[in-house]
Amino acid sequence: MRRKSLPEIYSIEVNGTKDIETTDTETSGKGDGKGKWKKERLRNHKDKQKELKKDLDLDDHKLSTKELEEKYGTNIIQGLTSRRASEILAQNGPNVLTPPKETPEIIKFLKQMVGGFSSLLWAGAVLCFIAYLIEFSKDKSASMDNFCLGVVLIVVVILTGIFAYYQEAKSTNIIASFTKMIPRKAFVIRDGEKREIPAEQLVVGDIVEIKGGDQIPADIRILASQGCKVDNSSLSGESEPQSRSCDLTHENPLETKNIGFYSTTCLEGTATGMVINTGDRTIIGRIALLTSSLGHEKTPIAIEIEHFVHIVAGVAVSIGIVFFIIAICMKYRVLDAVIFLIGIILANVPEGLVAAVTVSLSLTAKRMAKKNCLVKNLEAVETLGSTSVICSDKTGTLTQNRMTVAHLWFDNQVYQADTSEDQKDQVFDQSSATWASLSKIVTLCNRAEFAPSQESVPIMKKIVMGDASETALLKFSEVIIGDVMERRKRNRKVAEIPFNSINKFQLSIHETEDPDDKHFLLVMKGTPERILEKCSTIMMRGQEQPLDESTAEAFQTAYMELGSLGERVLGFCHLYLPEDEFPDTYSFDVESMNFPTSDLCFVGLISLIDPPRSTVPDAVMKCRSAGIKVIMVTGDHPITAKAIARSVGIISANSETVDDIAKRLNIPVEQVNKREAKAAVVSGMELREMSPEELDELLTYHSEIVFARTSPQQKLIIVEGCQRQDAVVAVTGDGVNDSPALKKANIGIAMGCAGSDAAKNAADMVLLDDNFASIVTGIEEGRLIFDNLKKIIAFTLTKNIAELIPFLIFIIAGVPLPIGTMAILFIDLGTDIIPSVALAYEKAESDIMNRKPRHKKKDRLVNSHLALYSYLQIGILQSVGGFFAFFTVYAVQGFKPDRLLYLRPLWENDNLNDLEDSYGQEWTKYQRKYLEWTGYTSYFVAVMVQQIADVIIRRTRINSIFQQGLFRNKVIWVGIASQIIIATILSCGFGSVPVLNFTTLRVQYWFVAVPYAIVIWLYDEFRKLLVRRYPGSWWDKNMYY
Amino acid sequence: MVNEKEKTGGQVLEEWKEFVWNPRTHEFMGRTGTSWAFILLFYLVFYGFLTALFTLTMWVMLQTVSDHIPTYQDQLATPGLMIRPKTENLEVLVNLSDTKSWNQHVQILDKFLEPYNDSVQAQKNDVCRPGHYYEQPDNGVLNYPKRACQFNRTQLGDCSGLSDPTHYGYSTGQPCVFIKMNRVINFYAGANQSMNVTCAGKRNEDAKNLGDFTMFPANGNIDLMYFPYYGKKFHVNYTQPLVAVKFMNVTPNVEVNVECRINAVNIATNDERDKFAGRVAFKLRIIKKT
Repeated sequence: MRRKSLPEIYSIEVNGTKDIETTDTETSGKGDGKGKWKKERLRNHKDKQKELKKDLDLDDHKLSTKELEEKYGTNIIQGLTSRRASEILAQNGPNVLTPPKETPEIIKFLKQMVGGFSSLLWAGAVLCFIAYLIEFSKDKSASMDNFCLGVVLIVVVILTGIFAYYQEAKSTNIIASFTKMIPRKAFVIRDGEKREIPAEQLVVGDIVEIKGGDQIPADIRILASQGCKVDNSSLSGESEPQSRSCDLTHENPLETKNIGFYSTTCLEGTATGMVINTGDRTIIGRIALLTSSLGHEKTPIAIEIEHFVHIVAGVAVSIGIVFFIIAICMKYRVLDAVIFLIGIILANVPEGLVAAVTVSLSLTAKRMAKKNCLVKNLEAVETLGSTSVICSDKTGTLTQNRMTVAHLWFDNQVYQADTSEDQKDQVFDQSSATWASLSKIVTLCNRAEFAPSQESVPIMKKIVMGDASETALLKFSEVIIGDVMERRKRNRKVAEIPFNSINKFQLSIHETEDPDDKHFLLVMKGTPERILEKCSTIMMRGQEQPLDESTAEAFQTAYMELGSLGERVLGFCHLYLPEDEFPDTYSFDVESMNFPTSDLCFVGLISLIDPPRSTVPDAVMKCRSAGIKVIMVTGDHPITAKAIARSVGIISANSETVDDIAKRLNIPVEQVNKREAKAAVVSGMELREMSPEELDELLTYHSEIVFARTSPQQKLIIVEGCQRQDAVVAVTGDGVNDSPALKKANIGIAMGCAGSDAAKNAADMVLLDDNFASIVTGIEEGRLIFDNLKKIIAFTLTKNIAELIPFLIFIIAGVPLPIGTMAILFIDLGTDIIPSVALAYEKAESDIMNRKPRHKKKDRLVNSHLALYSYLQIGILQSVGGFFAFFTVYAVQGFKPDRLLYLRPLWENDNLNDLEDSYGQEWTKYQRKYLEWTGYTSYFVAVMVQQIADVIIRRTRINSIFQQGLFRNKVIWVGIASQIIIATILSCGFGSVPVLNFTTLRVQYWFVAVPYAIVIWLYDEFRKLLVRRYPGSWWDKNMYY
Repeated sequence: MVNEKEKTGGQVLEEWKEFVWNPRTHEFMGRTGTSWAFILLFYLVFYGFLTALFTLTMWVMLQTVSDHIPTYQDQLATPGLMIRPKTENLEVLVNLSDTKSWNQHVQILDKFLEPYNDSVQAQKNDVCRPGHYYEQPDNGVLNYPKRACQFNRTQLGDCSGLSDPTHYGYSTGQPCVFIKMNRVINFYAGANQSMNVTCAGKRNEDAKNLGDFTMFPANGNIDLMYFPYYGKKFHVNYTQPLVAVKFMNVTPNVEVNVECRINAVNIATNDERDKFAGRVAFKLRIIKKT
């Protein structure tokens, strides 16, 4: 077993670097300057790897205690002096893993500046400057309009960039502060005193003490050990506890028993060790450094947004070019054509969308944080929603991560104990005298103790010093009988043999609490078969009976039954020592065992399990109805894994594994048709033998899969397997060696409580309560935000057409320009921002957890239906409404629509100061210009009014707005109010600001577009009605987005 | 990216081809023939409905707009001034040695002044009482077409161009420029007080280069009887009053900036943003070979 662990350690290093190399070479081809930098980084990695290998020639394990003391200038008994320790601390730095190198802030910032639509806007700005330069070169007094617009565009790009960057940074900071929140403590001997210090202050040479339950705070050389066992699974993937002693057992530092590794857990026993490596210099620190620099996959939402940007940019550029050519053909000046191009680009780019999406995502991230999902990367919010497979850990995520009494067997009967989080409902029969004896053994034969001064803490939350089983028993008896410590005091302990792996039992001898009773009570617990061996009688309803064949058989049945549930079973027995042989002055000697350890009285069995969290079965059910496959991946024993999987519903009640079918049909396993089994329990050993094709087959044909006894490395294989099926995979993990899997996964979820720093760094999300159910709430939020983003984008795209059409009509029909570029910017970045963010607050229309996860490639964020409905239907409707307002304002001032057609050359002629209107009145250029601004304002207001209708209709995609509740989303109304207020301020307050070109509009012209707004609303209600009425119809297929 | 490998150019082309015409499913651009027919029919109906809606609303809106007077005139509070001949860049260029350079101006003016011929005026328009507005109120009943006052071409004196061998002075380098005020419906220019047009060089050197000029009618007067204007539809034969300025001795071969403004009580001529409100600026340039 251990032999195998070694190549695995190397394999992860090699894998890690391989990936880095490939990503590096891929990217280095893109640009020479970058390539150089990447190469340098690559070299660094190689150096690191070399260093890692070199440092593995650690020889501390071969040194004697004396030599060690010399080497590190310490003293085994006294420890380091505080002064020396702080010197070393200053020299070596704190004992923490350096978080992976972040992308430099400036790069992140620049990325926000050039990504997505920004490049289009940059192009627009450049065109503006070119246009200005052309004008300026012709005429020194050229108007500054184009120059101003260019500057405004750049300001817009920079501001939205800063905004997105700030949002991103804010959410990153949440996680940064979070990592600091959980300090680890270590018991260390310094200046000859034992004290507790934060683990990060440990230095090389410190003498530390560890006990069961602790995480080893640094790489240590074991100096002394009492039954110390460690769980190296996070390092080697070996889930079997390994004993640690002070003996050199192997040349290789990774295999010898006298080294304990940083971040591995001490399961039981105690040990004293000397710190030999801290922080990044620890074995695991080096692995973490390498793996954490693995490249990350693009998130689905990033892909979706990119897709969307491509669509919009494609539309913008092609319409732009087409109309550029048309303009040239229509004998417009090139300069004019360039200006049209700018307008078309500007109208097409939803400038405010990036900000709205970012805000929506961070709102959801905040909401999720309240529900214990901390999201590191904003985009991960949505990724979680598109998850189709969850690979979940068992311990701590699905289970409570504490041993709990599950069943009791006494009086020849199995009783069930309450395994819920508070264990309040203990309903089994407590009247039997056997229970009285059993409870006494449970209480007395137990070394676990509550840590002092936590009287006010509920029992289940109290901190206990002791191993997992003993803790479980202690809490169990504390709940049922009350003050255990007091009871132990009354039954003074006179002798004790702690549990060890050779004896496989634990024994203690107590005085009885009855002062007149001078008997001693010997209590013992241990592995059931071992305990049974030592018994000759068995207690039935308080009476001792000889242990005969039938009772032994009953015992066997019960033992098997509990064992098959994956529970850890303990046997309990006792003996009242005869008073004559053992008077109260008798001195017990545990070395020579001068007391009987056979012919005891068997009292009962208690089985323990790490029970599922009570919220998990529900959550798994939800996943199932949401079409999400839950795969359990655990290092635990298949039987335990299967039992837990069954109890939480990962394997549903009526599905069978191949083994189950074989058992039911009573045929050998080989003859079972594997396809018949819905469920599968696969051990790590089997997985190792599988080819990728076999794994694919396994993942396809079994809907309920449990991987047991797997190493963290195999988790990576499983994740890759799922991704080959085009699944969006969420993976939970806590160990350092989980980090490759967390990185590889589409969304890595680290455990907040149990997770290592490396895992948290590699993950996209941190579960604060380690609870599986929180993932499901997260998924719900993620799906909701996907729907809402759809609505936001539909809302935003609509008015782009209303902004674009004016330019097209302007070019083709020669009317005065209906809306200026500034007004467009004010719609995109002013009136429309808050309503679009408000759509993020929209509640789900139906149970989103009842539909299948979206298909990565088929269910796009922006599909053709959404684009067509927004662009060609509502968008066109809106433009028509806008033009109606535009024509109205011109008509009441004297220019009737027929006069406006092809008026442009005259209208824009600076020297024509007596242009005749429909009534024969004559207009100067400035008077016309002012009227044109009034036109802009009216069109702007019309679009705003219709966008109010648009935001109302976009709240739902299928339900009627009345089904959704008109006032359920209050933020929408805030958004609508903001639209009106911003428009009012612009129209009234800024009418005189020259560059903005807004004028004050008469009150009645604010309502010109209202009929169109109502038509928009009615039409969409009509659309939704038909979609609801005739699902699957032509209408549904073409009109539902 | 794990699963998505970079597509080669050929594959992309293949995919496009298949998108444009998929022979298996008989889909053109992702839709079958019937599907296209349905969607086109839908959009036909939809846009038909939109056109109807637009037409209806426009019709309703135009019903509310009067035929003879616009609903609002707030943007025409100050009428602008303009010159004839109307030239590009408002520059009156006269090259004495090049007949073509001024002949176009002359033709424009001939055409422009044709309706002012005395015979036409006498035939169509009334002789009105000078110094008084010629008001023709409707008094409850629509009273149209409304009569207009005569403005006879002869009133323009030397600039009338009648039997004028100098062609409004263009052939001799003493050009006439005509100033007119923009028509605004129901505008009572001058507020019952007399008004006139004055011209001056824009800057000091312009004033020096401009030399003397004569105005027709005398003093650049515009009579009140030409106001108010009742609109194209009712005031069919309305004749806009003119002021002609004859520049007698402009310094040749320099660009002279001239500004003319109207002096009337109710017309402001100092709007900073509208350079043509109650005034007009133009350039004069006489090119003479020395």
